[in-house]
Amino acid sequence: MWGRKRSDADFAEEIKAHLELEAEELRREGVNAEEAQWKARQAFGNVARAQERFHLMGRWVRLEKLWRDVRFGMRSLAQSPGFTVTAVLTLALGVGANTAVFSVMNAVLLRSLPVADAERVVYLRTSGAPRGTGTIDSNQTFSYPVYDELRRQSKGLAAVMAYVPLSASKVGVRIGSQPEEAEGDMVSGSYFSGLGVKLPLGRGLTEEDEQTHGAVAVLSYNYWTRRFARDPHVLGQTLYVNGVGITIVGVAGEGFEGTEPGGSTDFWIPLQSRAELNAWGSPLEDGKAYLANPTWWCLRLVARLAPGVTRARALAQVQPVFQRAAYVGLGKPTAGERAPVLSFAEAKNLPGFDERYGKPLRILMAMVGLVLVIALANVVMLLLARNANRQREFALRQALGAGRGELFRQLLTESALLVGAGGLLAWGFALLATRLLANWAQIESTLAPDGRVLLFTFAMMLAASVLLGVAPLRVALASGAEQALRTSAASAHASAGKSRTGRVLVALQMALCVVVLVGAGLLVQTLENLRNLPLGMRVEGLVVFGVKPEIKSVPQGVAFYVNLMSKLRALPGVESVTVMIERIGSGWSDNSDMQVDGKLPDVADGGSRTVRSNVAGPDFFTTLGIPVLAGRDFKDSDTATSPHVGIINEEFARRFLPNRNPLGHVIGSDDGRYQMTVVGVVKNHKYRSIDEAPIPMAWYEYAQIPVIGVMQVEMRVAGPPLAILPAAQKVVQQLDPNLPLIRPITQRAQYDTTISGQILFARLAGFFGVLAVVLVATGLYGTLAYHVNLRTAEIGVRMAVGAGRGQVVWMILRQSLVLTLIGTAVGVPLALLVGRALSASLYGVTALDAISYAGAVVLVGGIALLASGIPASRAARVDPLRALRVE
Amino acid sequence: MSTREQNDRIALLQGTLDLLILKTLMWGPCHGQGIARAIQRQSEEVLFVDHGSLYVALQRLEERKWIRAKWGVSENNRKARFYSLTEKGREQVTEKTAEWRRLSRAMGLIVDAAGPQGEEA
Repeated sequence: MWGRKRSDADFAEEIKAHLELEAEELRREGVNAEEAQWKARQAFGNVARAQERFHLMGRWVRLEKLWRDVRFGMRSLAQSPGFTVTAVLTLALGVGANTAVFSVMNAVLLRSLPVADAERVVYLRTSGAPRGTGTIDSNQTFSYPVYDELRRQSKGLAAVMAYVPLSASKVGVRIGSQPEEAEGDMVSGSYFSGLGVKLPLGRGLTEEDEQTHGAVAVLSYNYWTRRFARDPHVLGQTLYVNGVGITIVGVAGEGFEGTEPGGSTDFWIPLQSRAELNAWGSPLEDGKAYLANPTWWCLRLVARLAPGVTRARALAQVQPVFQRAAYVGLGKPTAGERAPVLSFAEAKNLPGFDERYGKPLRILMAMVGLVLVIALANVVMLLLARNANRQREFALRQALGAGRGELFRQLLTESALLVGAGGLLAWGFALLATRLLANWAQIESTLAPDGRVLLFTFAMMLAASVLLGVAPLRVALASGAEQALRTSAASAHASAGKSRTGRVLVALQMALCVVVLVGAGLLVQTLENLRNLPLGMRVEGLVVFGVKPEIKSVPQGVAFYVNLMSKLRALPGVESVTVMIERIGSGWSDNSDMQVDGKLPDVADGGSRTVRSNVAGPDFFTTLGIPVLAGRDFKDSDTATSPHVGIINEEFARRFLPNRNPLGHVIGSDDGRYQMTVVGVVKNHKYRSIDEAPIPMAWYEYAQIPVIGVMQVEMRVAGPPLAILPAAQKVVQQLDPNLPLIRPITQRAQYDTTISGQILFARLAGFFGVLAVVLVATGLYGTLAYHVNLRTAEIGVRMAVGAGRGQVVWMILRQSLVLTLIGTAVGVPLALLVGRALSASLYGVTALDAISYAGAVVLVGGIALLASGIPASRAARVDPLRALRVE
Repeated sequence: MSTREQNDRIALLQGTLDLLILKTLMWGPCHGQGIARAIQRQSEEVLFVDHGSLYVALQRLEERKWIRAKWGVSENNRKARFYSLTEKGREQVTEKTAEWRRLSRAMGLIVDAAGPQGEEA
């Protein structure tokens, strides 16, 4: 019936044969040849129509059958709206949660760069940088000479592209009169052509742009949309970047957001050589920009493999070139130094996110997988209950001759309808959820589901509808035709078994619920611990923003900040103001060795010598509320001409100046070129992130060091911290109309960004925990209520022969208590496994945390009690006479 | 239950022609034109078979595996598609014949019954 073996041509042949046979017979009956042919044709009727009917028949029958099944399915679902709505919603939640998490996982971990032939594009990685160099990321950044040599000498690579941001965060730009901030990258001339990025408007950058350091920019589609409302006349307009006028010449294709890890680039300009546009917004080092500085490994590289060359062959060809190039301008490698090794990494859309979000996302995926299983179990139980009620219908149908195939088809259609409706809802739910998730995770590139996610969801739905179609089939078939002869609904149920499947499912759900709850409990506690972790400062009332003034000389730069601070201090509501180079709580730190009293200190047990340093302005520790244990804070009276002073933390003193009074000792940079006297010791506090352990720290005074550039301004204010920003913006603009406030944020929120992964993780886990609980509660209640309903007659009999209400209630409760016991007995060991997998993501709780386990078990037990309490009390109110009458 | 009812109704209409075809094929393999002629002849020209419908019916019976077909040569040396009954088809002849007898008896009872009720109905 499903396959058609015969062709239309064969059928036409048969009709032709028929007409000939008919004509011949007519001729034999005495009709003349011509007339015989005509008559034969007439007798046949419309030949074309017969052929058409033949053609349509096979298809039509199938289509009609399908349509009939669908209509029948919809009718039968419409007859029980309560069931249908519950099942669809449950499915939508289960599938939606999975779709949402998978689409985040897809965007963050799986999606390739949106460029032509992404599989031929690779990020360049190195095992490290040569000694004597500074890096941004020791495995991902390279010097300009390395880039230059690679693009000249790599036969295995069709193109090598370099890119580097104009700032570690955002860079100040001005389009009209109002300064604002945006994310900008400097890139090589081959960037757009090499990656194969489409340019719907204008042109990309060229080799010539790179050679001449041309003042031209390409905007991202996103930025063009957000800032310019897709105005086609944007070409030719001027964008002032750090005050430098740059002409817009093109717009990159939709979806391309650059190659910065985790960032969404707004515009690209060719590699520049001027001081205002140094890489990472850094001040010049010894008067040299990044292009002329082989010791600063600050560029990221991406390359396209040459046509027909495998990754391995390309790498083998490039390796020696790289190892030579690594030492250009650095001199010979020191004795025993191992040359860095180049490697290729896949061109993921969000490089570097794997380390940060990979594990949490995979665990979340597993968690929502469990939620889906719970949801499916719920729907299966609902279906079982519903189909048990329909056993007479099935039996009757079988008695009337419906085949098992037909019953199966009908059940499958119904479940496909349910899953289809649930899937549609789920898709909407996922679209919404991904937008929220992107916000929470502070991921600026889009997490919206794409084709691959659609496929995933579709596969999930297909599996679900088959499962939901097959599961109740057994019950339906178990009935058999003879059941139709039984008149009592109750007796039909009774012999179909009290649904052992249903009880197994409930126990399974409880076990999974325990697992999800324990996971959620551990993660939520982790978050609480992190948030309540003392930072070692009074973080409330603090607000921070960046300023990047145009700096012509160090004294002028210092004067700018002195002026800015005094103006800000004069604002009403401001308690104190200070500046620093590295924003605290940003996840960044400047790490190096430091000399103590003229030499690198000896550390006991071969411990680390690394010191984190920062550069700070007057009243730094007072403003932050960090206690000064000995000595003093930086003061306005510390200037370029006064003696150099430094401040250290407890940990520095403990490790490098043990059992001595640290005040008065001289510390300095590892090369000894800058020296300062310790004038203060402050209490340890959280510096880079919330979840760090104390590390030795030292602070330079900003007015005394030989460089100056971008500074972070920290203000302590009375009242809500963000409310001061408009006034602060006005002050900054009085000094220079080009300057925006860069990334203004409260200091608390700044610290929270360092645990954004954990926050996201915990919130989601908490949400899925609640979802699991709700699903389990409804499932359990539904199943128990249904069973009590079935047993109404039995209960009536029991009560009629003298069973008390208490006994009846206990009978019902006992059933669910047994299930709960089994569920938790299975769930707890499973949860132990999950806890172990999670342990790396926990803070301040162990994987064996008793509260989480006890909480989960108590919660599940409570739900079981509650969900069975209502049916039990209903059972106790059964009127024996009425119950018996039903029978 | 509605699906079933629809099946019945359609089966009844189709069944008539189906039975005629099956019955004809009891005498041995035959091609479409031969079947049409045989039905006309045997019903003393009362039943005229619409040839278009006949071939659709043949196709349907073939798909149900009640009859099978293969190309052959007719008595007067023409190429034709010959149909013959399968085992399943033979069973169907018995079943459909019984069904038809029941139906025609029932029809007969009503149609032949004299009296006012019959007229009113």
